[in-house]
Amino acid sequence: MTGVRPAVRQLSGHGLSIGLLPAWEGRIYRRTVGPAGATAARPQAAGWPGELSHPVLHLANFALPASRGDFGTGAVERMSGDGIFLALLEFGADCLGTALYAPRGLPRISPGQFNPNGMQRRVAGQAGFQHFCTAAGRPFCLYVVIGSHRDAVRLTGTVNSVLDRIEVAA
Amino acid sequence: MIALQIVELVALAVLAVLVAGLLRGYASVLRRLHDLDAGTLPAGTGGAPPFRTAGGVVAPAQQIEGREEWAPSHDIDGVTLRGEIVSVRTVGVAQDTIIAFLSASCEGCTGFWQELADRSWTVPVGSRLVVVSKGPDEESPSMLQQLCPPDVDLVMSSQAWVDFAVPGSPYVVVADGHTGRIKGEGSGSSFTQVGGLIEQSVADGRHPAVIKADADRRRARDVDKLLLSAGIGPNDPSLYPAEGGPA
Repeated sequence: MTGVRPAVRQLSGHGLSIGLLPAWEGRIYRRTVGPAGATAARPQAAGWPGELSHPVLHLANFALPASRGDFGTGAVERMSGDGIFLALLEFGADCLGTALYAPRGLPRISPGQFNPNGMQRRVAGQAGFQHFCTAAGRPFCLYVVIGSHRDAVRLTGTVNSVLDRIEVAA
Repeated sequence: MIALQIVELVALAVLAVLVAGLLRGYASVLRRLHDLDAGTLPAGTGGAPPFRTAGGVVAPAQQIEGREEWAPSHDIDGVTLRGEIVSVRTVGVAQDTIIAFLSASCEGCTGFWQELADRSWTVPVGSRLVVVSKGPDEESPSMLQQLCPPDVDLVMSSQAWVDFAVPGSPYVVVADGHTGRIKGEGSGSSFTQVGGLIEQSVADGRHPAVIKADADRRRARDVDKLLLSAGIGPNDPSLYPAEGGPA
């Protein structure tokens, strides 16, 4: 082989697992929460004191910064036109059975579903997609941002390849 | 009538000459482009053509050699101080990665932590800083939390120390994102002190002598793709027929 090739890397934790594509990074975490009643300053993506936090999976084909919001604030601003950011956020069990989370399993996306207005905060050229679903009996929100709306066809293919690789344990 | 035929013949001959000239010129342009893209080697040589500058251009004093012999870099798996499970890429990525192997209990690391805290050192453009400590079983996360600012990427990974054969802390490695190889490493008392090493390594990555010719890079990528599609990945024993496997 020529050069140095990364092996397929498995990222697992909190009942979420993914085989990372080459050049893709991933992070799985739960929001840090303080004890109920605490009033300490909260770092980015930290939960409210007493909050019951749930797992969050972040995936990206660019360098993920240490400080990011759950929906990618602080990361998507660094994306190039080829960039893709994907967040899978679990919600509380009280969401199970509600109409919003009725779709079963993680979706596969079509290019037309990406919308420049689907961003948490509009960033020129980028487009977002948000979907609520239930996978393995757990309620999730999937949020995907692509770096170039004009290149949605190509980037959506990669997004779906990544979605194929995500495994959710019950 | 005969005069008309003669005129037609002359016109045809002129056109034929023009077309031949155009084709020749086109072939010459293609040949020059091919040469510029490192597509051909001088007859009778087995290696790369010798590096030379154009007439009137001063040749660089120091050329970078042995690039292929640089040690391989490694991706980093570990956990952050927030409890994140992370996989950080240093291989096959757009940016270079400056990996600072630091410890909370190492006296020599004080200058590095200080510069991270007071932001007196800036990461060079086109690169990314990752601080790597040993895993939670060998380090004190609470002490690290006090030393490392929250916006600095700190990954706790004992495996990374093994992968990069780190002799001790502090130790700084600069990984070239494109080639996936280490292009600088060393120790010092602060980022500023090892700044020369870091800046030179990052700048070397943009040096024309280091940038692989496009055709060469494409060829390497195509070969890798073919091998991978045939199920032959890195370290596959079939790639090392004499030894029976990678070292």
